[in-house]
Amino acid sequence: MRRLPFAAWLLLPGGLALLLLMGGPVAVLLAESLRPFVPGSMRPGEGLTLQNYRDLLAPAYLFYAWETFRIGLIVSALSVLGAAPLAFAAVRSPRPAVRKGLLALLVGLLVMSLIARLYAIEMAWGSLGPLAPIGALTGIAPRSPRYAEVQVAIGLLHFTLPVVALMLVGAFRALSPRLEEAAASLGATRADAVLSVVLPLAAPAMVSGFLVALAMCISNFIAPLLLGRGVVVFTTSLMYTRFADIGNYPSGAAIGISMLLLSFAVVYGLAALARRALR
Amino acid sequence: MMRWLDLPLRLLARAGVLVTVLFLLVPLVVACVLSFDDRSFLGPFPPREWSLRWYRGFLDNPAYMDGFWMSVQVALAAGAAATIIGTLAALAVSDPRLPGRAVWEALFLSPKFVPTVVIGFSLLVFTARIGIFDPFTRLVLGHTIITLPFTMRAVLASLIGLRRSHMEAAMSLGATEARALWDVAVPAARSGIVAGAAMAFVLSFDEVAVSLFLSDAFTQTLPIALVAEMRANLNLTIAAVSTVFLAATLLLVLLLDRLIGIERLAGDVGARG
Repeated sequence: MRRLPFAAWLLLPGGLALLLLMGGPVAVLLAESLRPFVPGSMRPGEGLTLQNYRDLLAPAYLFYAWETFRIGLIVSALSVLGAAPLAFAAVRSPRPAVRKGLLALLVGLLVMSLIARLYAIEMAWGSLGPLAPIGALTGIAPRSPRYAEVQVAIGLLHFTLPVVALMLVGAFRALSPRLEEAAASLGATRADAVLSVVLPLAAPAMVSGFLVALAMCISNFIAPLLLGRGVVVFTTSLMYTRFADIGNYPSGAAIGISMLLLSFAVVYGLAALARRALR
Repeated sequence: MMRWLDLPLRLLARAGVLVTVLFLLVPLVVACVLSFDDRSFLGPFPPREWSLRWYRGFLDNPAYMDGFWMSVQVALAAGAAATIIGTLAALAVSDPRLPGRAVWEALFLSPKFVPTVVIGFSLLVFTARIGIFDPFTRLVLGHTIITLPFTMRAVLASLIGLRRSHMEAAMSLGATEARALWDVAVPAARSGIVAGAAMAFVLSFDEVAVSLFLSDAFTQTLPIALVAEMRANLNLTIAAVSTVFLAATLLLVLLLDRLIGIERLAGDVGARG
């Protein structure tokens, strides 16, 4: 018998943690999602059914799913758009203080409490906040209930933008500045070099940044909870009410499994497709 | 491209950077200023009178203080567990002789893409099934699995520069593999271990979704208490808490910059996906 490499032993605690804290629970959740719901009882009924999943195809659910996705797509696009120049400046600015300041800002936001940031957004962008007039430029009045959508989007953008920016910092660092110098020596302007040399090379990282942002948005729970005012309901919120308010575990489990599949499809499936398309 | 477009485009990029930085910073400044507001209600910005009443309100509220200590304990326990497990896993995955390295790496990163509500809900059902009902244990377990990808990733990123030949040199001088890892690889991974541990502590300290499912009425973390307060009545106590969080974040970033340097840190925590 071949001796296991020493490294394999180091995987043991991690493997156990994955198995017991993720694999096992998700398997139990899957089993739970296939049980029939007995109204008024905490225990699921006997037998197996797909009814909990069929229920999710009702127009009301599809509407919430679409709402979640729509906001997620907008926020992800904006976060790549905002993160790219920021990340580029953090890597290529000629002034070391600018580079360091921007990196410190991004790392600081990454480790800063999201609750505190969402609260700050409520204070700054809410109807009494000093930034409300800018929020009104979306065409939705800050006093109207629909403004919650704008606030949730702003909250999610504040959450995803630093993450995407740091991903792009990694990508820009990996590109040699020689490429831009070469373009410049061939007569390209600075903007030209960035647009025609740097951006195409960074495109794969921008696509994965977009997808990670999308996955972060659609699985986010706290932004719609704190800023949604009950008007913006994400699928994550639905799952929580299933559990907390109605006690319908099988249906909550079915929503959970669907969300899990969706999130993995975005991160791994779409990413693989994008890689192939960019090649 | 037209040469005359160069300047406008560069100005546009600069404006983009400026707008993004303002977008990220202004809300934090607003909350910070409001936390010193003397008015007892939420009024228009900026405040006219100043006081520390919201800070006293926070310190005098036992729900917040209990939650704070609970969060510290959970974050320390889960952060330590995730750092140790994640470091071991990263050391294993960085070994070129390990079969299926890419698969293992993807597996260890995967909890990051499981929505936290799903982790919370499934762990609730699972721990009930296997007979774990103690909320503290449940919280630590839940927080360990959600922070594990971050510690693993940070350590792995910091190990990229480690040369296999250094390990082999140590072993050719008679070190066992464990000894070589401890003396060569672990010191090389120091920045990633520190960055990962900091990330794990912070993420656990701020976690809401998992904690909502796994805590009970007597075991509340600080975020749970804050979220309950924010949903019940929006007042400025939370502005004071946010300002404290902001100050703590600044200190943490300064400390991490001292320990490992911000450039390296950005590489360790930034590498994702």
